[in-house]
Amino acid sequence: MNTTANPRSTERTEVLYGQKYVINTVLQFLSQAEKIDSCGDHKALSLIFEVEEYKELLSNLKAKGIKLRYITDITKDNIHYCKELLKFAKEIRHLGGIRTNFSISEIEYLSSMTGNQTLEPVPHIIYSNVRAMVEEQKYVFESFWNKAILAEQRIREIEEGIEPEVFEIIAERKKIAQTFLDLIRSTKKEALVLFPNDKAMVRADRLGIIDYLVELSQKEKDVSIKIICQLSKENVGIVNKVSEQAPGIRILNGNESLYGMYIIDDEKLLRVESRDASAETFMEAIGFAVYSNRKNTVQSFKSVFELLWNERTLNEELKRADKMQKEFINIASHELRTPTQAILSFSELLQTHPERKDEMLQAMSRNAIRLQKLTDDILDVTRIESKTLMLKIEPLDLNDLISNIVEDYRNQIEKNNDNVELLYYYRPRNNDSKIIVEADRVRLIQVISNLLNNALKFTKKQDKESKKGSIYVTAEKKKNRENGSKNQEVVVSMKDTGTGIDPEIVPRLFTKFATASETGTGLGLFICKSIVEAHGGRIWAENNPESKGGAVFELSLPLGEQQQQQQQSPSSSNLTSGGRA
Amino acid sequence: MNNKCESRILLVDDEPDIALAFKIGLEDNGFRVDAFDNPLKALSNFKADLYDLLLLDIKMPKMSGIEAYHQMKEIDKKVKVCFITASEIHYYEDIRKKIFPILGIKRLIRKPIRIDDLVRVLRDELQ
Repeated sequence: MNTTANPRSTERTEVLYGQKYVINTVLQFLSQAEKIDSCGDHKALSLIFEVEEYKELLSNLKAKGIKLRYITDITKDNIHYCKELLKFAKEIRHLGGIRTNFSISEIEYLSSMTGNQTLEPVPHIIYSNVRAMVEEQKYVFESFWNKAILAEQRIREIEEGIEPEVFEIIAERKKIAQTFLDLIRSTKKEALVLFPNDKAMVRADRLGIIDYLVELSQKEKDVSIKIICQLSKENVGIVNKVSEQAPGIRILNGNESLYGMYIIDDEKLLRVESRDASAETFMEAIGFAVYSNRKNTVQSFKSVFELLWNERTLNEELKRADKMQKEFINIASHELRTPTQAILSFSELLQTHPERKDEMLQAMSRNAIRLQKLTDDILDVTRIESKTLMLKIEPLDLNDLISNIVEDYRNQIEKNNDNVELLYYYRPRNNDSKIIVEADRVRLIQVISNLLNNALKFTKKQDKESKKGSIYVTAEKKKNRENGSKNQEVVVSMKDTGTGIDPEIVPRLFTKFATASETGTGLGLFICKSIVEAHGGRIWAENNPESKGGAVFELSLPLGEQQQQQQQSPSSSNLTSGGRA
Repeated sequence: MNNKCESRILLVDDEPDIALAFKIGLEDNGFRVDAFDNPLKALSNFKADLYDLLLLDIKMPKMSGIEAYHQMKEIDKKVKVCFITASEIHYYEDIRKKIFPILGIKRLIRKPIRIDDLVRVLRDELQ
């Protein structure tokens, strides 16, 4: 054991053992220095402030006004000492995970051994005044200093609970897998997932990631989960499982990519390069990974994801539009050719079968009307889609209009001996039995007739022999509460006891081609909706909640200006039933 | 009327007007025709050796013509078939390529068709 403190005239490096010598050496070091650069691990500050023997060193440091630059690993545990030291140190910086403990003055170097986990005085110390050694350690210190961040920033982050910013390249595959799992499992609000290819989804499923996301989506309805992945036979089973069990998770078909990207809660990013895209396990498939929680990094990758997502969405919409277009052509052509076939055949047969002339002419006429109806519908759809549907707006009495239409239908029902009763009822609020709306008469007749036709078609089919089906039409003036509007509107409701709406069709009832009927084109309700909306109204439908069967279709139209004013200041009224049906 | 050909035809089309018109037109040309506008009814009345040829619409409610043929073929291995459709032919491109060869289906007739032309196609298929 070297216990002698040699004069410092010559260059030397030595190890000093024993607390007394350690303290003496440090005191001498301090006495000679004007500037000190020092590094300490996360325990070092506790040692300086808590160990009795070192208090003298601290007061010396203070008293001498030494310019101290200090680097340490600032944690929750040593933050208060760090603040204390900041009072007299020139500058303190934080470097996460620093393990080394050394100090350098202009001419000397001191280092205590690292790894001391207890709060005991340091038992030995390395001293050097070898110029080359001191210079080298100065260089080491400077490189640490440049990497470290300001202590004040780190203290604020800890106090505000902010995770330190990390940008880490991970090469070790086990660590990548663990980071990947931890990341996905930390999802609170949003998970954006880009799998590099179809098999990557299968590999993630094996890791339990897919099941985790499904469960999360089931439990937390507000969590947004978007997945872009190449879709193929490989992962179709998983995709089906997800869409069945967690319809909240949205999956779009993507192209093969060289990396996977996972962005969680707008805060964390993991980008994993693929090494072997066809590998069976996650560990075999991956190469390097980048993990970061830096705001800018996460945001820029998120914008890449959003771009891809939008592009993929557009792509799917185009495909759907193309499919719809083909569907339209197919349905339209089927519906055009069917009556054409009947007309053509009967016109040929008419010559050879004069005895069946009446029957055949009737059939031809029936099919010609069907053709005309379809042609009108197709023209209407074209007008709606090209936004050239013209309305001839005039003030008209809706009560009168519905009464007349209902009357016509009742005559028709009687004539055809259909087993249906049709009723219309309107109860005016005051003595005014009129429901004045500003509308296109022909178009409104079209809408109401279409709804009545449907009601009739689906109501008369059942109970042909036994119970009579019913269709109830009502009108009622109401305040429109949509969007905070206080305007008056009229709601026309048609309730039937028919077969109801096929639940599968309900969500797309008013879109083109939604039909449960084999003879319908699925254009009627789409046209109705467009006409009603062009009048500033709304249309909606549901299966009758009060009875076992049947549907309810309702539409609203804003009341004409004259009646708006009347309704705003209602006169005391006798309630009378003013419906005519 | 041409009575040389006494071939028996089962005609199924969900459009009653078309089923009737084809039945009259084909009978005028010497075929014996049973016509149905409901494929399920046609199937429940179907027996082996009753018909030489089936003339089936494709798009029908409750059961497509192809499905009906599939089941009828199980009952009568020898029966021939012609399909007829008002849909766009390319709509059935996939079915034509994949399913028709498996079921041995050769003909898909497009509506509208004149009765004379229909008769020609059916005779051709029966030969």
